[in-house]
Amino acid sequence: MPSEGKSRIQVLQGTLDLIVLRTLASLGPQHAYGIAARLEQVSEDLLKLNQGTLYPALVRLEQLGWIKGKWDKTENGREAKYYAITKAGLKALGEETVRWRQMSGLVEKLLSEES
Amino acid sequence: MRHVRRLFAKLTGLILRGRADHELNREVSAHLVLLEDEFQRRGMNRDQARMEARRAYGSVEQAKQLHREERSILWLEQTFADLRYACRSLLKTPAFAAIAVLTLALGIGANIAIFTVVNAVLLRPLPFQHPEQLVRVFDDLNGVGAKDIGMSVPEIQDLRDRSDVFHAISVIWPVSTALSGGDHTERIEMLATGFDYFQMLGVQAALGRVYGPRDAAPGFTEAVVISDGLWKRQFGSDPHILGRRIRVDEDGYTIVGVMPPDFRHPGQTLAGDVDLWAAAGFTANPFPSPPARAQRFLPGAIARLQPGLTLKQAQQRLDALTAHLTQTYPKEYLPASRWSLRLEPVEQSLTGNVRPTLVVLMAAVGFVLLMVAVNMASLLVARSSARMRELAIRQAMGASRGRLVRQLLTESILVSLIGGLAAMLVLALAKESLLALMPPDLPRLAEVHFDARVIGLACLLSIVTGILFGLTPALHASSTDPNRDLKEGTRSGTPSVRQNRFRGVLVATEIALSVVLLSGAGLLVHSFWNTLRVNPGFDSKGLMVARIWIPFPNNPKMNRYLTAPSFASLSRELLRRVRTLPGIQEAAMGGNNSVPLVNYSRNGIAFSLPDQADSILKQRSAEFASVSPEFFQVLRTPLLRGRFFSDMDTDKSKRVVIINEAFAKQYMAGRDVGRRVNALGSDWEIVGVVGDMREDGLDADVAPRIYSALYRGPANEIAIFLRGASEASGLKEAVTGVVQSVDPELPVYGVRTMREMMATSLARRRFSLSLMAVFGALALFLASMGIYGVMAYAVSQRAQEFSIRMALGAQPRDILLIALRPGAMLTLLGVGLGLIAAQGATHLMTSLLFGVSPADPITLIGVPVALALVALLACWIPARRAVRVAPVDALRS
Repeated sequence: MPSEGKSRIQVLQGTLDLIVLRTLASLGPQHAYGIAARLEQVSEDLLKLNQGTLYPALVRLEQLGWIKGKWDKTENGREAKYYAITKAGLKALGEETVRWRQMSGLVEKLLSEES
Repeated sequence: MRHVRRLFAKLTGLILRGRADHELNREVSAHLVLLEDEFQRRGMNRDQARMEARRAYGSVEQAKQLHREERSILWLEQTFADLRYACRSLLKTPAFAAIAVLTLALGIGANIAIFTVVNAVLLRPLPFQHPEQLVRVFDDLNGVGAKDIGMSVPEIQDLRDRSDVFHAISVIWPVSTALSGGDHTERIEMLATGFDYFQMLGVQAALGRVYGPRDAAPGFTEAVVISDGLWKRQFGSDPHILGRRIRVDEDGYTIVGVMPPDFRHPGQTLAGDVDLWAAAGFTANPFPSPPARAQRFLPGAIARLQPGLTLKQAQQRLDALTAHLTQTYPKEYLPASRWSLRLEPVEQSLTGNVRPTLVVLMAAVGFVLLMVAVNMASLLVARSSARMRELAIRQAMGASRGRLVRQLLTESILVSLIGGLAAMLVLALAKESLLALMPPDLPRLAEVHFDARVIGLACLLSIVTGILFGLTPALHASSTDPNRDLKEGTRSGTPSVRQNRFRGVLVATEIALSVVLLSGAGLLVHSFWNTLRVNPGFDSKGLMVARIWIPFPNNPKMNRYLTAPSFASLSRELLRRVRTLPGIQEAAMGGNNSVPLVNYSRNGIAFSLPDQADSILKQRSAEFASVSPEFFQVLRTPLLRGRFFSDMDTDKSKRVVIINEAFAKQYMAGRDVGRRVNALGSDWEIVGVVGDMREDGLDADVAPRIYSALYRGPANEIAIFLRGASEASGLKEAVTGVVQSVDPELPVYGVRTMREMMATSLARRRFSLSLMAVFGALALFLASMGIYGVMAYAVSQRAQEFSIRMALGAQPRDILLIALRPGAMLTLLGVGLGLIAAQGATHLMTSLLFGVSPADPITLIGVPVALALVALLACWIPARRAVRVAPVDALRS
């Protein structure tokens, strides 16, 4: 990790999908900007990402049928594409969450034993 | 499941690329607007907010690219882009595209056509269960060098009992037979078999049943099976055919089955496909009873090996069996003759004799395709030099070399695939007319059609060819130095010297390849010329043949022509009546095996010379035929010594024979007329020696032959030889009328002119010759085009140099020589290399040659000289242009 690692976290490969799904499940339909803003907010600006990098994840999730995009108007009357989690997405979120917990638990265990 | 869905979505993304891009653009701008709003809300002015929004978003282009990669399949998308580009650039140069597609279609098409035949004839397994277990069994007498001498009934029975070797074995005996019952008696092709024949092959009837072991009988069984062809032709596809009684050679049989249309007997026949199958035990009438071990009247057998037994193991067990039998029956199997049984895969005995021809043709078309590829490569190099600038710009813009090569390769593969597709289309459309060009005696001809393997090869060939001719030019073109090439391209738009040198190498290769092809073609032409010059031993001009099958009923008492007097009176009466036909000047007759060039199975008779003590032990055999007194005069076969037969040579007179020259040369050692020959159980006096006739084909050796007088004894077949002005058309009806007026049960068939029969016997040779000639001409054309292209360019490039030389006083002749030199060098190089390669390649053709050695000096000198002349002409045309250039114009340009 570069030296800026202290203040910023690089998104782990594959975790972005989980984060996006979780965000959409909690907040309901969101546009890409909304998701990005939420991420920054939750991570208290610790997680900093170029907002453009969200798009590949969105495409991937949509192709998998886990989220669905729809054009709509924002409160300010701007147009934006709102992504909503689907039933399949909710199911996948459950599975992925379990997997992530197992994985992080394992890593945590290994790290504490090693030290 | 998840992956399938994703792949589907990606493919959709690939197809709806435009819409997805538009959607993305809209989404990105919406995103930026939202960001801008946010930053403005935080108190920035519009410009600041816009800048800040862009920064927060990151690189828009990179995001789009990532999006595309995620959305779609990148390499496929690039390939599509390459294809689109290739199409566009081909459409922009229609002349190039047309030439390329045309030559490729020719090259690939020729290969597919030949491969389709090779596939059907040599590669595709025979259409039976486990065809690898099917074998032919032959009796050989190795001690006296006699092969395939026929088998006796006890021998077949011995083999049938060897269940440790054979699962089943059946006699196969192709015969003519007279089918009556319709409006006239027709000669058809019959196959006499054992009862196991169909079970052994593992085939069923399409209608009804096949005969089997339960039909077993000592003589012929009542139940017969007919072919689909006969069913349609003779019985109008009657669905109630089963149980129908038919008369075959005057005996009654019952049809129990009709075979499927695609079933063919996997072996040689007399003249065409088998129409009737009949089974016999071969131990009662019409066969000799009891069967004798030494009477080898059965022409052959087919068998299925026990599963799991290899050919070698089976052969070893048979060798043990023959050793045992030779000891048990010392009288029948003379030790000196070394009797043995030989196994051969059915596939090999069926197609073995066309294998060399097809292999040579396949190799030749392969060479043609190679030449097409080389020519295309040369064309592409010329073309890529015109695109030097474009490539340099692409490289300067950041395209990697690999990406450039990929794009160029896409183009060449696309052209090649279009060529292959065009070839397939033409072949599919012209299939019938192409098949009509094939020699009709080619085995398994009916099975020739496209299958998955042919289509697969067509695709593979197209792609490989595309890579073959595209790769080197692509590598060549992409190894550009943008700096240099942009300049070079700007200045003249012409290719570098480096490229023309590369084309020179290609052209030399082309010349070498065409030397090989033309040498092959030349050898075949020379062979064909030799066969045409062969003296057939008879005069075919105006000579016609009509054949009559004499029915052979199972009960000898029913046979009206079994005695010599009855047969002689039939022959004399027929001869007397055909002589009265309009236009007929002369007529003669022969018995069995008397018609030249019809490929009788070689089944000679054994003979010995009573005045030589050891003659019997040598077990010699000679071909045998009976002929009428006028036979040799009508055929114009010369009498060398002694006399012809006369009307007085009958069964009442002295036994006399005439021998051919080959017999005299091989066995008589100078003393022939007046000597005796022992054959067919009696002594015969030689009264005459006649010239050799090419009985087995114009390109086959003449076998020793004995002729006896027709009126001496019966025969199964009568051949009428007619010499007259009229054509074969109409003759069949006339002869049939005459024959039926004598006996309505005698079928007439095989009415043909001798000229036709000679042409047929040369059909296969003519076929391979014509193909090789076409390939050779194609090669010559491609090579001269190639050398012309290179020379024309070289001359145009040196125009300035030439004009300076001329301005300084060089004569046109000097310029011509200078201009010609590189072309001449290339030609010499190519011819030299080609001659070396031809030495190796033409040795493969030895079995196709006749009267010519692979190192035939006429071919090996003639071909290079002809090729050099054509090549020099191709050089001379551009070189002459060099001389004509006006110095002032060239210097100015």
